[in-house]
Amino acid sequence: MAWRASPFRNSCAMPVKRIFLFLTGFLVTVQDFTVMVGRSFRYLFVHFRLRESLLEMDRLGVGSIPIVFLANLFAGLDMALQFSVVMAPYGASNLLGRVVATSIIRDMGPVLASLVMSARVTAGITSELGMMATTQQIEALLVMGVDPVDRLIAPKILAGMVMLPVLSVVGDLLGVLAGLMVAEFGAHVPGPLYWSGVRSALTLPNLVNGMLKPFVFGFILVAVGCFYGLRTTGGAQGVGRATTKAVVYAAIWILVANFLISKFLIDVWGWKL
Amino acid sequence: MIRLEKVTVAYGEQIVLDAIDLEIPTGKTMVILGESGSGKTTILKCVLGTLHPVSGRVLANNQDIGKLDEEGLLRFRQRMGMVFQEGALFDSLTVGENVAFWLWEHTALPDDKVEERVRTLLRFVGLEASIDQKPSDLSGGMRRRVAIARAMAAEDPAFMLYDEPTTGLDPFTSKSICDLMRRVQREFKSTNIVVTHDLTDAYRVGDLFTFIKDAKVIATGTRQEIEHSADPFIQTFLSLDS
Repeated sequence: MAWRASPFRNSCAMPVKRIFLFLTGFLVTVQDFTVMVGRSFRYLFVHFRLRESLLEMDRLGVGSIPIVFLANLFAGLDMALQFSVVMAPYGASNLLGRVVATSIIRDMGPVLASLVMSARVTAGITSELGMMATTQQIEALLVMGVDPVDRLIAPKILAGMVMLPVLSVVGDLLGVLAGLMVAEFGAHVPGPLYWSGVRSALTLPNLVNGMLKPFVFGFILVAVGCFYGLRTTGGAQGVGRATTKAVVYAAIWILVANFLISKFLIDVWGWKL
Repeated sequence: MIRLEKVTVAYGEQIVLDAIDLEIPTGKTMVILGESGSGKTTILKCVLGTLHPVSGRVLANNQDIGKLDEEGLLRFRQRMGMVFQEGALFDSLTVGENVAFWLWEHTALPDDKVEERVRTLLRFVGLEASIDQKPSDLSGGMRRRVAIARAMAAEDPAFMLYDEPTTGLDPFTSKSICDLMRRVQREFKSTNIVVTHDLTDAYRVGDLFTFIKDAKVIATGTRQEIEHSADPFIQTFLSLDS
């Protein structure tokens, strides 16, 4: 019977069992995620869906333009303001353009765009796939001889990896322009001086940093959303739970990946600025 | 023909199907009856290959479904139509797009031919006028009709599976769905499995009947054989429905 006393209850074996269950659950999750991602990439090569990929790029990317722009605009304004206050006493205001551009291109731009996008895109993907899973639409796809990973997941992952770098670059530009406004009208740093600082920040290491990160983050925020969406069970409440989980995990993994990529590029390749 | 041989399915420690044997001859409709949670839908999942039995095997036209790999299963399912309990229509697509989906995925037909086939199928189920509507704009009965049209989109569906196709519908709509299921069988001469707990609808569509209780098949046969069964559960089931 289900309610019979567990042999583990009130025994020292209980924590061991819990740890064992947690570890096996974690390993199964990692395995399922790896299989889903592996199959997605395989489909991108053997059964590429141009129409669905373009549609997803429009939905994920173009639809996110306003929020990414707004986030980068205010981040640029705030960053220039804070740096100008900190740097002015040291007479380093002439470096404002370089510092703002470096921060935005290397870190703030990609991370901010990804976090804002994860709130919109990851949540959207998880709830959409979650609803499909709980209303048997995913099962209907399988029954019709269509692999949901091929039809739904692969185009989304491609769209995330293509569109996030694009949005990130445009967002970076907007952030730098916002910094110029603060430099000109708030910190009294001449525009040409600010721009020469920005130009000096456009080095190969910075640009590689700024393009590689959104590429990886785009993959993370879509793949995590798809993974939790497909695993959704338990009706509307289950969709809510899966969505919350996906957004939280996507944000955490983006921050973890951000650190690892920075570390990799700085330490292994020896790139500084 | 669909045959289940000593099929056992378990979710964890709970046995849902216990070594059941079942055979559905080609072109016949088998209705699976039983209480809620008795494992009726699990049989459909085994036939679809979305659930693998712990032991035993499922054969469709002498092909062991358990031995098919992922791609083989996807190909096998292309000759299968399934009508889900609530229709399971893709809510982001229109009615026409739902019906066209199989054709888009598995054929290279030009758009005009696809539209022609979609209109033919929707005319068959009496919903041609709803071709541009979204599933959310349809009633429960209309959604089931679209689901049947979508299941028929495969040019020659060898197997049609219905999971509680009339649940939640009024008696008139239920009858019209049953009539439609009969017409589909006549048209395609498909082998059908219908899962239901409604005896009236079962008699309308079924050639053969199977009762499931406590994870086991307790009786299989024609309507007469079932009605003359001495099993107390079946007699209670029949008397409650009448």
